[in-house]
Amino acid sequence: MPESTPGLEVRNLTKRFGNIVAVNDVSFEIASGEFFSLLGPSGSGKTTMLRMIGGLETPDAGDIFLEGKKITFLPPEKRDVNIVFQNYALFPHLNVYDNVAFGPRRRKWPEDKIRREVTALLEMVHLSGYEEKYPRQLSGGEKQRVALIRALILKPKLLLLDEPLGALDLKIRQALQLELANIQYEVGITFIYVTHDQSEALTMADRIAVMNKGRILQVGTPKEIYEHPVNRFVANFIGNTNLFEGVVKEIAGQDVKVDVPGLMELWGIASENHVAQLRIGQRIAVSVRPEKMRLSRVKPQKPGYNLVQGVVDDLIYLGVSTEFLVRLPNDQVVRVFAQNISREDELWSITWDEPVWVYWRPERSLVLADEAPT
Amino acid sequence: MTTATLSHTHRRHRWRLTFQRYLGLTLNIFPPFIYILLLFYVPMGMMFLISFWKSGYMTLEPIFTLDNYITFFTSPIYLKTLYNTFIIATGAMILLVIIGYPIAYYLARMGPKYTYLILFLLIIPVEINFLIRIFAWKIALGGNGVINSFLMQLGVIQEPLKFLLYSKTAVMIVLIHEWLPYVVIPIFLSLRGIPQSVIEAARDLGSSRYDIFRHILLPLSVPGLFASMVLVYIPMLGEFAVPALVGGPSGYMLGNVIESQFLSAGNWGLGSAIGFILLAITLVLVALVIKIAGVEELL
Repeated sequence: MPESTPGLEVRNLTKRFGNIVAVNDVSFEIASGEFFSLLGPSGSGKTTMLRMIGGLETPDAGDIFLEGKKITFLPPEKRDVNIVFQNYALFPHLNVYDNVAFGPRRRKWPEDKIRREVTALLEMVHLSGYEEKYPRQLSGGEKQRVALIRALILKPKLLLLDEPLGALDLKIRQALQLELANIQYEVGITFIYVTHDQSEALTMADRIAVMNKGRILQVGTPKEIYEHPVNRFVANFIGNTNLFEGVVKEIAGQDVKVDVPGLMELWGIASENHVAQLRIGQRIAVSVRPEKMRLSRVKPQKPGYNLVQGVVDDLIYLGVSTEFLVRLPNDQVVRVFAQNISREDELWSITWDEPVWVYWRPERSLVLADEAPT
Repeated sequence: MTTATLSHTHRRHRWRLTFQRYLGLTLNIFPPFIYILLLFYVPMGMMFLISFWKSGYMTLEPIFTLDNYITFFTSPIYLKTLYNTFIIATGAMILLVIIGYPIAYYLARMGPKYTYLILFLLIIPVEINFLIRIFAWKIALGGNGVINSFLMQLGVIQEPLKFLLYSKTAVMIVLIHEWLPYVVIPIFLSLRGIPQSVIEAARDLGSSRYDIFRHILLPLSVPGLFASMVLVYIPMLGEFAVPALVGGPSGYMLGNVIESQFLSAGNWGLGSAIGFILLAITLVLVALVIKIAGVEELL
């Protein structure tokens, strides 16, 4: 996806705070107009990363290029980058209009141009008529919209959003997620969106970079990240997954036979990069997503499938689907999602303590590395 | 009929509840209320009354007159003292803000480790007995004082600087020293309450250092600024010990006039009247500050 001159290029960026390496030798590229998400748990370095791109922190090593121009040490007021802060950071003594007009006034725009732009942007986020209100009179969602257009009005080449929806409740968050994605599409500005909420990243981003402990573990589209996580951390962090710990028995192309002690021998696949590093006898983990597994009361006649018998430990009815927690002979509990399609379905009647078969296709089990394969 | 009775008992019940609550509240605040009433408002009411009584040297007759007020407003000496009082208090206030604001600003931006150390150092001089403090200033500012001897030693001046002691300057210097912490602390607190992210947002939107000060820090510290003004300016208007000890004739303030009317001139009526004129001016100033800053910002 990155073009010849990427919208943003980060090269070997490193930042230390005392003994802690917050960002550790990170490199990535973002195309112009892309909606890019930095996803990771708290303390993974994603906010530090964002602050370095915004100019609020100075990197200890590495460089940042915005449309080919080096901006590593430019102060924030000199870069074509704006930030939407986590806690909105609206100016409490200024009303909505003056908040949004703050940036343009520092750049000495003529007042009539400011008026036009502010009015248009307020309309875009459905806040027309809010000009005279003060931040303390706004709801969380309204504050967030003001913070967004206050940063957008300067038409930056890059907009950085630091968990902008983190403090809002679910309904407003979901509505704003869609609104944000639409706004990004409309204005065509490159967005970098920092979040710890995987569903938010999956919903909005064109591409996601999963971060942990100051490093980027994987960069890819939501689909790639979900379907082909490169390691155990990514698989666990994005969505739910069932992990089987085992030993490599056999390697045939990308197909890998894994012995899970006390349970079964199963077949999985490894990525091309990863398979070259695998050795017979190596300890690895296999990830199977809950929705990729099937349940049956009678032993399914599916040659080549991975197959194991267990007992229903618990089940959670979720309306569209049911989540089964099945205890396997090695005492491991796996999660299986089943769609509630028909009441005649045999799954409908499965209940607690019933023995069931869990089965799935070999290519649904991914052999994972512990660290990112290089 | 039933509804009427019902609503009647209901109303009576509610009234009793209100009464009980009111009584409970009154009982709670009763002792401090009595204390303030007896020791503050009653004497003040008596003074107010006296200010309209016919009064002379050691005499006081309960005959209504406006003479005391007329005396004040027709006497050039009293009006000059009123003017002096304002010049000294206002000058000291302006200098206090000029000196105090930067201190508060750097305190607020410093790491918490040194903030409290410096606050402590700032407050220590205030804890010293104020007479000792004033006498220390007399030693420093006098004709043979530390400052004059030092400057003469250096050859900067040939004669001791006369205006250093027994002058408006002396009163202002001592007042500034006395009140500085009370100016610094409210401004410091309001500056420290500004979230870092607000300042970062301003930078991000293209503010220079000056812009941040002018458009973010200054307006957001106005409540602290007003609080310190109310806290400091009003007591300075009523000051009498400092001008009495270091002011000399030119540093005479209204507080000294009031004191002398009560203690040496024996004219309680005039003393009370001047006291109430000062109080009225003070109240007008407080009302002005509240009107400009808004009550909720001060509290």
